[in-house]
Amino acid sequence: MKRVGFESSFAIAEAVKMANIDVTSAYPITPQTHIVERIAQLIADGELDANYIPVESEHSAMSGCLGASAVGARTFTATAGQGLELMHEVLYVASSMRLPIVMSVCNRALSSPLSIWGDHSDVMAVRDTGWIQIFAENAQQAFDLTLCAFRIAEDPAVLLPTMVHIDGFHLSHVIESVLLPEVDEVNKFLPKFHPLYALNPSKPLTMGDFATPDLYTEAKKGQDEALRNSMKVILQAWREFGGLFERDYFPVETYRTEDADVLLLTMGSFSEVAMGAIDRLREAGEKVGLVKLRLWRPFPFDEFCQAVAQAKLLIVLDRAISFGGPGPVCSEAKAALYHLEKKPQIIGFIGGLGGRDISVEGFQDMIHRGMDKAEQGKFEEFEIFGVRG
Amino acid sequence: MDKLTEIRWHGRGGQGAVTSAELTALAAIKEGKFAQAFPSFGPERRGAPVLAFNRISESEHIRVRSAVTQPDIVVVLDPGLLYIVDVTSGLKDGGALIINSSKKLVDIKLEFGGPWQLAVVNATTIALELLKVPIVNTTMLGALLKVSDAIKLDFLLEPIEERFGKLAQRNIEACKRAYEETSVAEPSPTSKKVERAYAKESWPSWQELAPGFVVTEPGNARSYRTGDWRAQCPEWNHDRCIKCGICSLFCPEDCIRPNERGYPEADLYYCKGCGICARECWTQAITMGEEVKE
Repeated sequence: MKRVGFESSFAIAEAVKMANIDVTSAYPITPQTHIVERIAQLIADGELDANYIPVESEHSAMSGCLGASAVGARTFTATAGQGLELMHEVLYVASSMRLPIVMSVCNRALSSPLSIWGDHSDVMAVRDTGWIQIFAENAQQAFDLTLCAFRIAEDPAVLLPTMVHIDGFHLSHVIESVLLPEVDEVNKFLPKFHPLYALNPSKPLTMGDFATPDLYTEAKKGQDEALRNSMKVILQAWREFGGLFERDYFPVETYRTEDADVLLLTMGSFSEVAMGAIDRLREAGEKVGLVKLRLWRPFPFDEFCQAVAQAKLLIVLDRAISFGGPGPVCSEAKAALYHLEKKPQIIGFIGGLGGRDISVEGFQDMIHRGMDKAEQGKFEEFEIFGVRG
Repeated sequence: MDKLTEIRWHGRGGQGAVTSAELTALAAIKEGKFAQAFPSFGPERRGAPVLAFNRISESEHIRVRSAVTQPDIVVVLDPGLLYIVDVTSGLKDGGALIINSSKKLVDIKLEFGGPWQLAVVNATTIALELLKVPIVNTTMLGALLKVSDAIKLDFLLEPIEERFGKLAQRNIEACKRAYEETSVAEPSPTSKKVERAYAKESWPSWQELAPGFVVTEPGNARSYRTGDWRAQCPEWNHDRCIKCGICSLFCPEDCIRPNERGYPEADLYYCKGCGICARECWTQAITMGEEVKE
């Protein structure tokens, strides 16, 4: 294990190298470009023995990944924002065909107005595509969770594509220190990929067939069960990872939530900033804590309810707008808690859109503003934090 | 809720069952009634068994959109279907079963009689004579008019004219002649449906499907009896056949093989009766004859 300075994008490329992928089929897009550039470099330099398929669009990038994964290749790609949107229909095919592709998504706002900066609009648009979706908060996590993603996705009991989300710029372009494991340690954690089914001319089978109304429902039921059941493997993989590398990951993680009356819920790199706000408020004697959603799909209903049920107030930050509806994470939180007798009140904020920063002080303000609103009974769907006018 | 008449049409892709249902609904609507026509949506191809449905109500908008499973009237456009599809499934007592067949009413009754009106017309012959094609959609409408007052000829004329243009008159003739030639047997309340063994469809549970809906037995189309779709059958005249094999090359089903004497022969399990072999044969050794499945 050695400690190095790495941009998060390069840390992901390093994880991809250590995972010894067979194929990447990718198209550059800001703020993801550094990942695939770095992978191209690693391949060109002979440090990674893989095929890089340069394509003309993200739709083709994901289609290329489908083909590669279908023949049993360990497959990786990366994209962001508009690129993820262009992949959209193929994302469903990847999960429906149970192809364990791993993809980094450098979360980016959607046009228009054109914004290359970070938010979670792209994530929310692909929420229902059937991929496992994991959020990283820093470069180390980006590295760790990318390695874990291969292990989870390729598990014979899972066989589902997996996205590792990192916030565009706020994380993708930040240089931090990263602890790199040795290759043989990684190999212990990440076995070779043995596909359940693979396209092979000498042993033909059909993938991506069509289904009449008599079969489609059963096909979808099977797919949903697979995504729900992946939870067991995710927990097991993270447990083993923790055992080997001494960094622990959970579907829902909490920070200073013991006997907290007020909880803030965040996803992604803003979570670490919010931790700073929690520290300050705790120092001032306020009973506040932070809940971080690491696993977005499958949604960890039990773990989430357990983490927040005892609080009086839950403040949810969404980094995406569902136009005309509630914030997507907030809406999920409400749905998860609905059946519980004891549950917190919920105040929703939308913020950090299109790269808008939220500072430690900003999170302190947000928490206080949420508490005020709850006291005044202002339970509207959400408030856009810091919007002018 | 007022009286609802439900009709189920059994045909093959290309025979016009869907057109029959559409014209029926248009005639009913023209008469001032409320009606629906819809096909069983699916990847049907020419010759494959298809369904079409009607609902007709005297005075109310019809809300239900599901397939008709307990019809008042069943119309069968292709006699070959009688042996592969359970056409009387769900047919109400006192309803009507209308069949296109060259057989006599008494003979059909032995097999398909029941507590329903039975009507038989040789629609294929009428269509071939008047329309020069074995498409019996308008012809079978004549038979429907004979057994049911759900629609009336006067209101059917305009939809037929709009639909067929120059060919409308001949279609109306076919319809009228079928009306005249349809023979009807009244239901006998004591008679029972003759039970036949039809291939039952059974579908797997979600647990039984392979992950990712992978089809693990390639080439399973081999088991589909596409020969069931055939309305016409290729016949070889060995005096003209030069064994060139062109028929075999052009057969889209790849079901033509030389027999032990070297003459090409169609595997009737798969032959859909498309007629391409007959059209491509240089020496005109192949003719398409009427399919005799009855």
